[in-house]
Amino acid sequence: MKQITIILSLFSFVSVSAQIPSTLLVGGTAHLGTDSIIQNAVIGIKEGKIILVATTSSAFNKADYAEVINTTGKHIYPGIIAPNSTLGLTEIEAVRATNDSREVGSVLPNVRSLIAYNTDSKVIPTVRSNGVLMAQVVPRGGLVSGTSSVLMLDGWNWEDAAYKADDGIHINWPRMQTRKFLDEDNTELGPFEKNKEYIKQVEELKKLVTEAKAYSESGLQSEKNLRLEAMKGIFNGSQAVFIHADYIKEIIEAVNFAKQNGFKRIAVVGGKDSWMITDFLRENNVAVMLSRVHDLPQRAEEDVDLPYKLPYLLHKAGILFCLNNEGDMEAMGARNLPFMAGTAAAYGLTKEQALKAITLNAAKILGIDKTAGSIEVGKDATLFISSGDALDMRTNNVERAYIKGKSIELNNDQKALYEKYKAKYGLK
Amino acid sequence: MKKAALFLTLLLFGAAVIAQETFPVNGVYNKNHLVYAFINVKIVADPETTIEKGILLVKDGLIIGVGEQLQIPKGSVVYDLKGKTIYPSLIDIYSTYGVPEAKVGPRGAGPQMESNTKGAYGWNQAIKPELEAYKIFSNNDKSADELRKQGFGTVLAFHKDGIVRGSAALVSLGSGRENELVLKDKAASMLSFDKGTSTQDYPSSLMGAIALLRQTYLDARWYKDDKTKKEYNISLEMFNNLQSLPQIFESGDKLNALRADKVGDEFKINYIIKGSGNEYQQLDAIKATNCAFILPLSFPAAFDVEDAYDAINVSLTELKHWELAPANPFAFEKYAIPFALTTADLKDKKDFHKNLRKAIRYGLSEKQALKSLTITPAELLNISDKLGRLKTGMIANFIITSGNLFDEKTIIYENWIQGNQYKINDYNTIDIRGVYDFTYGNKTPTQLKIEGEPDKFKATVTLDTAKTPVTISVLGNLISLSFNLKDSAGTIRLSGDISTTPLKLSGKGQNKEGEWLNWSAVYKSSAPAETKKDSAKKETPAPGEIFYPFCAYGKQAEDRKGFDKAVNDFKNRYDAILIKHVTVWTNEPEGVLKNQDVYITEGRIVRIADDIGAPKLAFAKVIDGTGKHLTPGIIDEHSHIAVSNGVNEGAQASSAEVRIGDVINSEDINIYRQLSGGVTMAQLLHGSANPVGGQSAIIKLRWGKSPEQLKFEKADGFIKFALGENVKQSNWGDYNVIRFPQSRMGVEQVYYDLFTRAREYAEKQKAYDAVTMKGKVPAVPFRRDLELEALVEILNKKRFITCHSYVQSEINMLMHVADSMGFKVNTFTHILEGYKVADKMKAHGAGASTFSDWWAYKMEVKDAIPYNASLLNQMGVTTAINSDDAEMGRRLNQEAAKAIKYGGMSEEDALKMVTLNPAKLLHIDNRVGSVKVGKDADLVLWSDHPLSVYAKVEKTIIDGLIYYDIDEDKKLREEIQKERARIIQKMIDEKKGGAPVQKPVQKKQKLYECDSMEEDYLEN
Repeated sequence: MKQITIILSLFSFVSVSAQIPSTLLVGGTAHLGTDSIIQNAVIGIKEGKIILVATTSSAFNKADYAEVINTTGKHIYPGIIAPNSTLGLTEIEAVRATNDSREVGSVLPNVRSLIAYNTDSKVIPTVRSNGVLMAQVVPRGGLVSGTSSVLMLDGWNWEDAAYKADDGIHINWPRMQTRKFLDEDNTELGPFEKNKEYIKQVEELKKLVTEAKAYSESGLQSEKNLRLEAMKGIFNGSQAVFIHADYIKEIIEAVNFAKQNGFKRIAVVGGKDSWMITDFLRENNVAVMLSRVHDLPQRAEEDVDLPYKLPYLLHKAGILFCLNNEGDMEAMGARNLPFMAGTAAAYGLTKEQALKAITLNAAKILGIDKTAGSIEVGKDATLFISSGDALDMRTNNVERAYIKGKSIELNNDQKALYEKYKAKYGLK
Repeated sequence: MKKAALFLTLLLFGAAVIAQETFPVNGVYNKNHLVYAFINVKIVADPETTIEKGILLVKDGLIIGVGEQLQIPKGSVVYDLKGKTIYPSLIDIYSTYGVPEAKVGPRGAGPQMESNTKGAYGWNQAIKPELEAYKIFSNNDKSADELRKQGFGTVLAFHKDGIVRGSAALVSLGSGRENELVLKDKAASMLSFDKGTSTQDYPSSLMGAIALLRQTYLDARWYKDDKTKKEYNISLEMFNNLQSLPQIFESGDKLNALRADKVGDEFKINYIIKGSGNEYQQLDAIKATNCAFILPLSFPAAFDVEDAYDAINVSLTELKHWELAPANPFAFEKYAIPFALTTADLKDKKDFHKNLRKAIRYGLSEKQALKSLTITPAELLNISDKLGRLKTGMIANFIITSGNLFDEKTIIYENWIQGNQYKINDYNTIDIRGVYDFTYGNKTPTQLKIEGEPDKFKATVTLDTAKTPVTISVLGNLISLSFNLKDSAGTIRLSGDISTTPLKLSGKGQNKEGEWLNWSAVYKSSAPAETKKDSAKKETPAPGEIFYPFCAYGKQAEDRKGFDKAVNDFKNRYDAILIKHVTVWTNEPEGVLKNQDVYITEGRIVRIADDIGAPKLAFAKVIDGTGKHLTPGIIDEHSHIAVSNGVNEGAQASSAEVRIGDVINSEDINIYRQLSGGVTMAQLLHGSANPVGGQSAIIKLRWGKSPEQLKFEKADGFIKFALGENVKQSNWGDYNVIRFPQSRMGVEQVYYDLFTRAREYAEKQKAYDAVTMKGKVPAVPFRRDLELEALVEILNKKRFITCHSYVQSEINMLMHVADSMGFKVNTFTHILEGYKVADKMKAHGAGASTFSDWWAYKMEVKDAIPYNASLLNQMGVTTAINSDDAEMGRRLNQEAAKAIKYGGMSEEDALKMVTLNPAKLLHIDNRVGSVKVGKDADLVLWSDHPLSVYAKVEKTIIDGLIYYDIDEDKKLREEIQKERARIIQKMIDEKKGGAPVQKPVQKKQKLYECDSMEEDYLEN
């Protein structure tokens, strides 16, 4: 397994470093993703990396760059990261043949999203044209749904699109309350009931993790166990554990479980009730990959704007968090991630804090912040230029985008259809 | 038939006391015609008449005399009941006693389009007028005894199954042969909205059940008038036979009670409504039904809320209902709504009196309680000449009690039913409850305390301060005690007898060594008052105020408290508001006006000007709009919020007969949530499960009003159509391959067939009307068909179509169907490929109501593009952006703004897509949709540019009243928290007091989208 990973990263290095021109962006507002802003910015890109972040008043040499782009009056942002996504695993939700996000069984740590990621998905170009340039692609379902990977939203194949292969294992913490299907067709859902299987499911997880730990410490195995093999990384910190949980008690249980089992890096995914236990989360140094901002409150009595202000509540409490878009139409809806950050900015965060929640914070939680997530010297040049405020749908207009310094195609099938019918009707 | 039924009824009634005449007897006849005389007794003959010391005479199962001074015939059996009280036995007119429970029959995996009932019955399995409780009633002494113990003598028993449930029988709770017990064979007709064990798909929703019931009434009347009888139909025949009986309707919910009443009004039937216990939450509307009610006394148990994390899962509605439910009967009394009480819905019938006492503590008067258990039920069933009070000539059903029936200490001794005695407690049992000086053997005297009920005494021995329980058993005068004080004597067993005047217990017993010893217990005083928990229960309850609607963010009525009636009529109230220095998005040729003053009053926009002076009305509010934006209220052309029990009636290809307007849920929290997003109006649409869906409702989001008050006055009728994958059930799994259509080819044929039939129907009706107008009676009566009626309205341009659609071929097809049938498709909704046929839509005159950027959720939206709205708009098609989703509905301004990004629409045009354009599509732009003098004051005040992601709604105004206010919202949040904390504290006290509690489980509300089936929940 480890060997495969090494080969993979080698591959990706080779593929992106080939013939990337150097670019200089001059002028405009650079939103760094670090909660700070530079007016009249200059940003230099060479060999896929950011080599210069400064203001126009500082010394820089245009001649050092193959291409100089005037970005005066425009806004420059780090590429938005869509964590916890099924992008590339699903094409058309209702068409079974186009879905690769769920596998049979309930404990599947060895199942990897990476190799099913379809770089030719028609959905991906519509997402990146709004500034979303990377995604953590995650399998769904079961108790342990599998191993995710961080991918770039551009590439010939999954090998060269991989940014961080097999970044983490996803555990769906058992629900304390469940809804069952009442009929054989699995169409009629009953009311919420206490999950009688809860203890059993938690025991199953405990057993799995205990065995995986022992397996990881025991050295060579006479017989390889793919499931346990796949979990080795969570004990040495090379892989994170993403625990999906929303209800307050489930979050507490999940975090305690992770602590007791010595997981090196964890994050709670979802965390709808997380605002009620921020002290607990802070004490345990747990990050939250927050559920969809554009959502309804879970309970009738909750503040009507609770999902909108959840980011602010976590920010105020000093919790590291980022935004994700799990739910209906999650893959195609990932293009709305900037606007969810916009809503979060309307409900408490500053615009730069909101941006951070979909860039640098996401990179931190995914463990890729050394090279991604912000516009800083030394990091990958994954960024985009918008003619207006990218967090507001009223002004978001992505004109150029770069992934590791390479300018990417912003056209998509939807734009093509638009042009086709504009022409049909003779519209300008 | 009717005559025969009447005769049978008389026969049975007359035969009540001599029913066994026809039966052979094994042994000797045991009959007598003795008089039973109950003397020296307090008689509560009815709630208004009490004889302090009277006589009751009974013979042959009937009362032959009640009074103070009566001649007691010689040879009477005399019972001296000094100190006791006689009441009429209680009547429960909502019971399934003695009637077997309905069982669900087998059902295949796929759809079941037709009824499984074999024979010449009607088409729908849930219509069961043929059920006749008297034919399947069989005496069950165990169940009867449960009810007798609570004082009941008679119940109305019915077969609880289906929407039409047939006839109920009035039966006696005696233990004789059924022939003696059936007092009235067909005493009432029973109905509900619940299809029960029917396995047929239709109806799959509440609105379907309502439509089915309405059509059944129409069919039955037509069937009755049709002398040609081309069709024999047992169901309609039997249904007609039921119509002369009292009609009892099980509602299941306060809003359903209003819905049942609406059906009743249409067919001139005043139902007796079996309530659910939450009617107090909508009392004004309940009162306005003019219906009598049957109320249950099942009150919810407190929740276990000691775990704060669990407690957050209990809703405010549940908390408040727990607190207020026992006040429901009191509320009815206060509002003078006639009602009977029932034991129905009680898990344990033994709780009946306990709960009744609770209702009394919450304000119900004892007189009303007695009336609701005797006279009212008897009157509702037209049997008050036989039952319900103690009067000469009436059936001898009465109970003997130790005192006031509603007092906790009171014991029911005997229940006499049809002149037969049923002993419950022996009144000769000596009441040995009290504290005794207790000695046994050579031990120092201790204290013996006896408490409990005469049939279940509890005793303790107190030595120093240690209490030891004593096993006690009493039979007549004999008594035995045993206990173990954990001393050298071991278990002491004592036997003896009870002597009265003075009360003394004495006898002999043995210790562990078997040594005999003497014992005695001399009565010292009565047992001390019950423990603390009981006294806590006795406190007069102080439940909180009613919220309208009854959920979080509901508000107290400003002009009333508790169940006091309103002083002012709420709906006539209005505000006067002056908004100053605001940027106004008029949607009129003036465009966006800066720094304007807008004055609204009496629900209308009165003035828009640069500077309006201070308003004259003293109560006028002045709002500073500096830096803020004022727009028309957002109108959601496609919404599924505020709908009860199912948004799809999808069992058949057409369900034109169902109406969302029948099932508006005025208490959906999503109404408030939409208000917080600036939505003032919405079209509530049927789903998209079938080519012809149901009729929609256009509402204003008047949070706190009743369902009928939400409806927008004088709105045109609309109906939902649907095309494509949903109607051909493409994503419904492998079993759903039976219902026609399964392809887009079939969808077209469904329309041609339906509209052809509708045309013929209209012709037929015209011909019929021509005859009746001349004053003649046509030979064949006209059968009204609710489904075709709705379609005829479309042909006559009285009803307009909103059609769920995606791909260009089907859009084109429907326009062809419409053109050929001479009508227009008003609106294509979703219409994600509308951009491909925008020119054709423009030519046809259809509007579009679309999503901003949804796509790729199913095959037919593969070519959906976010530029759709912009292209349609540019082509001159009236275009709106809708939500189809409770979440997106509250940020439709953001969705509209996406058209600026995708396709470069102007900001004013973008805003129109969620305001003026939907108003046009709904034909209400003369009243709403723009900020114009004279139009309805439906306005939104925004903190920022209304199309910006950073804009927040500060105020949402409908009809000139502020329904959402960002500052008031903060106060409501605090109130919710306080109210929750108060009730949770009360619940914890209740739990500590020993009351049973239930575990909290989060109730997640079901949200409807187009594809949602009540029974088949599908993802979008």
